[in-house]
This record gives sequence, C-alpha cells and structure tokens, in this order.
Amino acid sequence: MSREYALNDWYAVGDAQTLARGPRRTVLLEQEVIVSGTTDHPKVVDAEGAAYPATFKYGHVWTSLGDAPRPLFNIPEADEPGRRLVPCGVVRVKCSPLRAVENFLDIAHFPFVHTGILGSEPHTEVAPYKAEIRDDVDEVWATKISFYQPQAAKSAEAGGDTQYLYRVAAPTTAVLYKTCPPKPEAMDVIAIFVQPRTETECDVWPWMALYDETSEYAGLVQFQQEIFLQDRSILENQRPVKLPLDPKMEIPTRADLTSIAYRRWLKSKGAFYGAMTEDA
Amino acid sequence: MQTAPLGLLRDLDPKRVMRAQVGGQDLVVWRASNGDVSAWDNRCPHRGMALSHGFVRGNDLACLYHGWHYGSTGACSYIPAHPDLDPPETIKTAVFSVAIADGVIWVSTKGVAQPAPVPMASQPLRCFHVQARSDGLAHACRTVAFEGGAPEQIEPGLYRLGARRVFVLENPLDEDRIQVTALVDADATPNDCAALSRWCDAVRRLAQTEKVAA
Amino acid sequence: MTQFTLYDYVLSGNCYKIRLMAGLLGVAYYTVPVDFYPGHEHRSEPMLALNPSGTLPVLVADDLVLSETQSMLGWLATTFDRSGTWYPVSDANLHAQVLQWLGFSARLTASVGAARLNAMLDWPVDVRAVRAASRKDLDELELLLTDRVFSGRTWLVGEGPTIADIACFPYAALSPDAGFEHDGYPAIRNWLYAVRSLPGFVTMPGIHPLHELREDTHDG
Repeated sequence: MSREYALNDWYAVGDAQTLARGPRRTVLLEQEVIVSGTTDHPKVVDAEGAAYPATFKYGHVWTSLGDAPRPLFNIPEADEPGRRLVPCGVVRVKCSPLRAVENFLDIAHFPFVHTGILGSEPHTEVAPYKAEIRDDVDEVWATKISFYQPQAAKSAEAGGDTQYLYRVAAPTTAVLYKTCPPKPEAMDVIAIFVQPRTETECDVWPWMALYDETSEYAGLVQFQQEIFLQDRSILENQRPVKLPLDPKMEIPTRADLTSIAYRRWLKSKGAFYGAMTEDA
Repeated sequence: MQTAPLGLLRDLDPKRVMRAQVGGQDLVVWRASNGDVSAWDNRCPHRGMALSHGFVRGNDLACLYHGWHYGSTGACSYIPAHPDLDPPETIKTAVFSVAIADGVIWVSTKGVAQPAPVPMASQPLRCFHVQARSDGLAHACRTVAFEGGAPEQIEPGLYRLGARRVFVLENPLDEDRIQVTALVDADATPNDCAALSRWCDAVRRLAQTEKVAA
Repeated sequence: MTQFTLYDYVLSGNCYKIRLMAGLLGVAYYTVPVDFYPGHEHRSEPMLALNPSGTLPVLVADDLVLSETQSMLGWLATTFDRSGTWYPVSDANLHAQVLQWLGFSARLTASVGAARLNAMLDWPVDVRAVRAASRKDLDELELLLTDRVFSGRTWLVGEGPTIADIACFPYAALSPDAGFEHDGYPAIRNWLYAVRSLPGFVTMPGIHPLHELREDTHDG
C-alpha cells in the first residue's frame, strides 16, 4: 500500500498569501483538506471537519494526515539573520511528486532546459561529485558539485562556476545550497516543498532563503518561477508518469548519482507513493 | 497490428520532430537532415522523457531533457554530461519500420511497414484528429454535403465530392479518437484543397456532435 | 538606450508578446517585474493608478501608456520597424487581415490563456467553457493555417511575418501547458517552428529555444 508511508510525512499545503485570501480547499494524498486560519494559528481540516496537526514554518502551513507523524525536518538557514525568505506561490504539475523532486536534484539538464540561465552549451560536462545516503539523519546528500552557469541567480552579473549542495530532507522535500553571487562566503538556499495531490499530480511550492538585499521581491519570485516553469514542461512529459525504482527501467550515468541515491533511499524506506516498484 | 498511416510527409520537413501513435504505442516520428524518416519508441531510455520534444542535430535526434543523442539505429551516440564517454550499446530506443508512399508516412510496430494501396493518383490534403469512432466518421463523410451536393462513397474511405475525390485514411488513437490522413486527386487546385479542407472540418464537427448525442 | 518601460510578468503569454516583438525588432527596454502571482500586484492601487484595467502588460514610453497588447505591437512596429513589413498599414487588405488576427489573438488569450492559468496556477475560471473554446480556437487556427499551406505560404498574412503572427504565437505555442498538445495540428506546428526560427527570437517557460539551430556543437 503505497500511501501508508506517505501519510506520516509533513506537507506544505498553504502559505501566508493563501491564508490571507481565506480557506484553501485542496487535495493531499487523495484526500480533500481545507487550509485556513492565520500564520500563528493555521488550521487544517478534512471535509467532515476533522482536524489535522498544522504548523507554520518556512513560510508555509505544514500538515500530516497520519497517526504517527515523523518529526518535521529542520532547515536551520531559515533562522539565519540577513536572509530574505521568499515564498514563490504554488504551481500545479501533472507528474509524480517524486519525479518533481528528482528533477530538482539534477544538474545535467541545465544547458538544455534552463538555457542561458543555469547552463549553456558547450558547458555540458558534469564533473565527478559525491552523493550519499546519510543514515544518521536519514537523508540523501550530494556534495562537491560545480557547474558553469551563465546567470546563476537574479543577483548574478556574469557567468561563472557555481558550487552546489543538495539535501533531500523528506521524500517530497528537497533543499539546495548554491554559491551566492553577492556574498561569496555564504550560500543561497532554494527548496521545493511538494504537495502530492495524487501519485500523478502535485502542487509545488518553491521557497528561497537568499542573501540579496537589492533585487525587488517580484524579480526574485519571477526568476524562480521562470526556472520552475521551464521544468514543468519536462515533468509533464516523462513516461511512465510514476518514478521507476527498478534500476533496469531507466539508465543512469555518473551524472545521476544523486538520483540513484534518491531512488535507492525511497526504496529502502518503502516510500512508494508516486513510485513504480518491481511488483507494481 | 497492420501498418498505420501517421500523417503527411508534406507536414514533416527535414529536421522536424512530431509525436504519433500506433495501436497504443507512443512514437516519435522525425526526419534527419538527410531527409530520412524514423519512428521510434517515444521515450528516452535515460529518464523517460518524450523524445517528441527533442531536436535534430545533423542526422541524430537529441532528447530535450539532457541532450542525449540517438543515431539512425536508435542507439545512443553522445551524452553531453560526459562528452568523452563512448555510450554503451545497451542504451538504445526501439526502432520501428517506416515506409513513405503516396506522400503518407506509414509505420508498423510489427515487421516491415506495408503501406495500404491508395486507389487514385493523389496529393496530400490534410491530417487531423477526430474525437469519434470509425463508424461515426464514415457516417459523417457520407453525410456532409460539398458545394451543395451529397457525397458519394465509391469504396470504403473513398468519397466523390463534386468533381473531386477524397481518400480518408484512419489511424485509431484510442477508443474514440482517430487520426485522419486525407488525400485528394493529384490535379486538385489550391482552391479545391482549401474548400475540401473545410469539408474535412465539417465532417469532424458532425462526427463529434453525433458522438456527444450518442 | 532603452526605448520604453514594460511592466512585466514572466509567465504571462501577453507580456511575452511584447518581449518577443522587442527582441525581433532589436529594441532595448526597461523591465519592471510585477508580482502578478502570487502577489496579485497588478490589482494593487499603484498599478491600478497606472492602468485602471488592472491587466498586464503595461507599456510606458514618455507620456504614452498602453495596456492592450494589440496597440503595443502596432506601436512597436510603427515606431521601430524601418522596413514597414511587420505592420503593413499601407495596403488596405493586408492591414485589415492583420487587424482580424489581432482580434483572434484576444480570443486565444480568453480561451487558451485562461485554460493555461487554470491548469498551472489553479486560477478560478469556467473550466469547461474555456477548454471548449480553446479547442475551437485551435481548430480554427489550424484550418486557416492549412489554407496558407495550400497557397505555399508560411505566415498568417502576406509573404512575411507580421505582428499578427506575434500576437497569435504565444498562446498557440503554450497550449500544451493546458494539456492541448500539438500532435493533431501539423499546420500550427510548422508555423510555430517558423516563428521560433526568426532571428532575434526570445523564449519563455514552456517555449524552449531551437537547440537544433546550434550546429557548432557536437553534431552526429
């Protein structure tokens, strides 16, 4: 039963803007829920009015539908002084929630999908990097990634090599750390919080914690939306729609180490919501 | 599965890519720079991306997602993330048999493509999708008047419309959707074609309305 | 030197019409990003003071403030196209046909544009109505472009690209965002390709560049 593991994870189902506009009627793991309240007291109930735990963190309302929710992961950078926290709204994508996360972890597509921004030919080579399942924290991490980018961020003025770090904090939550153009000693944080509506459709909430004091809010959001909507047209065209966990079904290379670790991690946990397993 | 008509060669110039289907098999149909037409499984073996969104470089088809190149045999020839790697032969997409006859692209997913005979000297009219079943489409073709006169069905798929004949080829996409490839007499003028193209539109509308009514 | 200011939203097909036309004409401009989504900033008081209709884009050039994409395309072509081909006003028939297509482009915005906002951003619209209208409009565009194929022509009007093509291009190209694929529309597909091949063409999310034009990299 693919939904069982997923029930005890936490999912973003609203943000300050949706709360301000009144109740948001939405779908989480095939169940209708209504998100309302304030950022201090968010409220999540089902159609019959039964309440689910709700908390406001990282600019979003989080809820879990299970009986024994695992703890909500920590993103310590959210509390660092000087960072601008930028929620980017929500985008509907007809794809597996796991495919959305896997795409977020991928760098080799930058020159072809985010042409002229996050990548460009002939700078297509992916140098060796490290990806691992960290058992102590039960997360997937990818480190020592470097890639040439024409315009790495809204604040970037020229092309250059960008350093990346990826962290998968939960099956539907991924965080990346990348070189911050105006502050070389620090790293920008960009995350996607994926709200699985069903196994083949999700609402995606991009979120950023940046060191950028000069760009207008609208410009920052639009930079992120431009990137994510470029990915959307890829995500809606992958087949099978669900993410195959059988290593024989899709052929990876060295550039896909993060994706390989992510799939292996999902499999070891039984996190199959949105996945295709051998016996499925 | 018999050989299916997947549209007009006129509509697929060299270096262009399109999506098609035969009997539930999703296909990318594309033309290399040298003019060759190929039909493959519409799935990049790497991450499942539809190759029909891809692009042609020389005589290779490249996937839009990560730019992996595939040559005429369907084998991967180049992986941009690893420019120096010689891709293993196991990275290969399924290749299907293609034939071009009467300006129509024919594909078979089993064995060699054998185009059906076209009962007249023809030129391409147009290719379109209809939300209807085959009997509904045929009924609409027999019903929709052309320049004030009723159509005459000469044989299955072949209709006399005034001074012209139109040959309607069908490729079922799913239970109630058909890809139609329509041909017209070789000596039809551009004005004839434009008028008959409107007749095709009227046929589609009637077939779709009757489907809703049913 | 920048020639005008564009109040812009990156995911808007209508704003893209202006970015695209400016790109094709090689006109530099200054962009003010407006938080259409999630912030609904286009309906904020400062934006309503500028453009009471509360729509995007808004084009400002000195005292001129334009809020309809058709008028912006006309102004861009008249002001910056020295060839006079993008907006053929001296030929009554061609001019009328261009205006006809500009009207059609507004229908595409109301149908495909609305269906797309709903599919992507869960925008509240009458889903059944806009999807039915989208299908009808795309069918009509396919029919009229097929006429052009019979007469050996590529563009909507006359012998070359006009603002009519640019007005109709974005929402026709973006229809897959709303689930309307181009498989059944060969004439639309080939016309979209022709627009994408124009020198100075710019992209937007959902419309990727023609990577095949970059022949200097690895080739077969």
